[in-house]
Amino acid sequence: MALAPDPMGVALRRGLTHAGLFLGLLLLWETSARLGWLNPLFYPRPSDILLSFGRIYVTQGNVWYHLYVSLGLVFTGFLAGSILGVALGSLVGLNPTVRRFLQPYVIVLEATPRIALAPLMIAALGFGAPSKIAIIMLVCFFAPFINTLSGVINVNEEKLELFRALGASKWQILRKLVLPDAVPVIMAGERLALTAALSGVLVAEFIQRDKGIGSLILTYTRNLNMASAFACIFTLTIVGFLIFKGMEWLDRRIAYWNHDADMARVSARRKARWEAR
Amino acid sequence: MTNDAAPVVTGTHVGKTFANGAVVALENAQFNIPKGTFVSLVGPSGCGKSTLLRLIAGLIEASSGEITLHGTPVRGPRQDVGMMFQKATLLEWRTALENVLLPTELQRKPTRADEDKARDLLGLVGLGDFAFSFPAQLSGGMQQRVALARLLQTGADVLLLDEPFGALDEFTREHLNLELLRIVGELGATTIFVTHNIAEAIFLADQVFVMTPRPGRIARIVDVPLERPRRLALQTTPEFNRLVVEVRETLGEL
Repeated sequence: MALAPDPMGVALRRGLTHAGLFLGLLLLWETSARLGWLNPLFYPRPSDILLSFGRIYVTQGNVWYHLYVSLGLVFTGFLAGSILGVALGSLVGLNPTVRRFLQPYVIVLEATPRIALAPLMIAALGFGAPSKIAIIMLVCFFAPFINTLSGVINVNEEKLELFRALGASKWQILRKLVLPDAVPVIMAGERLALTAALSGVLVAEFIQRDKGIGSLILTYTRNLNMASAFACIFTLTIVGFLIFKGMEWLDRRIAYWNHDADMARVSARRKARWEAR
Repeated sequence: MTNDAAPVVTGTHVGKTFANGAVVALENAQFNIPKGTFVSLVGPSGCGKSTLLRLIAGLIEASSGEITLHGTPVRGPRQDVGMMFQKATLLEWRTALENVLLPTELQRKPTRADEDKARDLLGLVGLGDFAFSFPAQLSGGMQQRVALARLLQTGADVLLLDEPFGALDEFTREHLNLELLRIVGELGATTIFVTHNIAEAIFLADQVFVMTPRPGRIARIVDVPLERPRRLALQTTPEFNRLVVEVRETLGEL
């Protein structure tokens, strides 16, 4: 036997430990539920949740439609809200006068929980998709707005002097310096916004229970079908994880200069483009 | 055709004050710099050497007197003069080649010839193999080489260098100084180099402007009649040491 532990073996053993611990917890949960230690009304058995997964995804297959509706709202609201945030953030950041007069309102609005405005959105826009999208826009707006604003304001002075010395126009300074320089911090804002969008759609659907995954959770809970409610919640966990990974992927594509591996990839691509010119 | 003997950069009673005249950064600077001359500005902090450089670059305006470049007064940043700082100030999202192309891009859409020139300049500064590397993938010395190539890409024949290798280690700096001499010699550029290192100032220059602070002024212009190309061993010769003594005396250090 080798004396030094091989890395593969360590990773495998660690993975097995995690899996074992997880299965142990599930088993504990299952046993507690079966023995009546947990109230089955609120804490369904893992086996029941698994069966519910099968039902809502396969035999009944109803979750797909609701997932489709909710995700549609999430992406529409996210795109609209964050584009608005980036656009207004640049505008305000680039214009000191506008900034000075807008600052107090931004502080007040930032201190207000945006979700509190959700009922007002329904009052203004009525029931239906538009008010739901408006709620999501509201929760998506601020992170990109604030981050774009600070990214645009905090331009490196030395780079600015370089551009001036090279006789750059205002438009060139914006397009070739200020905006690319702000990209990483804008992307960080977008990540926060997309996570917020997922919470936003749930709030919107809790208030207007007609369709979507939020409505489905509410319906199942009211019918005391907790196993199915849990299946929906775990579905959202998976969606949240995929969104996180997706944004990470996007960040590596867009702000490539902050990641070594991606820099090497882009570098090779630009070299190929040069050679093919 | 301009006469080679005619000065490329001149200063007539140039002064610069800050804070409404409370701080005199530069007083009554007088100089004529002929084409192809390498001038070092040397002195302690506060002697106005960076101020003088920024005045020539047109980044700040003189409070009194006049500076001319190629016979016309300096009124703002212009195309025939380029500047380089202690920090490379590269754009992290651009490759070395794209950074070198920036000055061209800000003037017009780069042609194939512009692109080839940028590539050649990277070769000239010894980075031929790193054209497609990003700044984060380059060492500090290599980043300064990119900045130098970018400065040369402007096509300016007056180069203003503000302690360009000051942040680098001694070995890298000496090496880059030698490369700089080779490059500006090949191009025949007029160079003004700011440093606070007396030996470096003399080693590089044809003329050393010795500057003293409070108020900042050019105390003396020392000619350096040493032959070119210069080798590092030059710094141990008696002639070299005599010049060091001359500069130090002017600075009041002896």
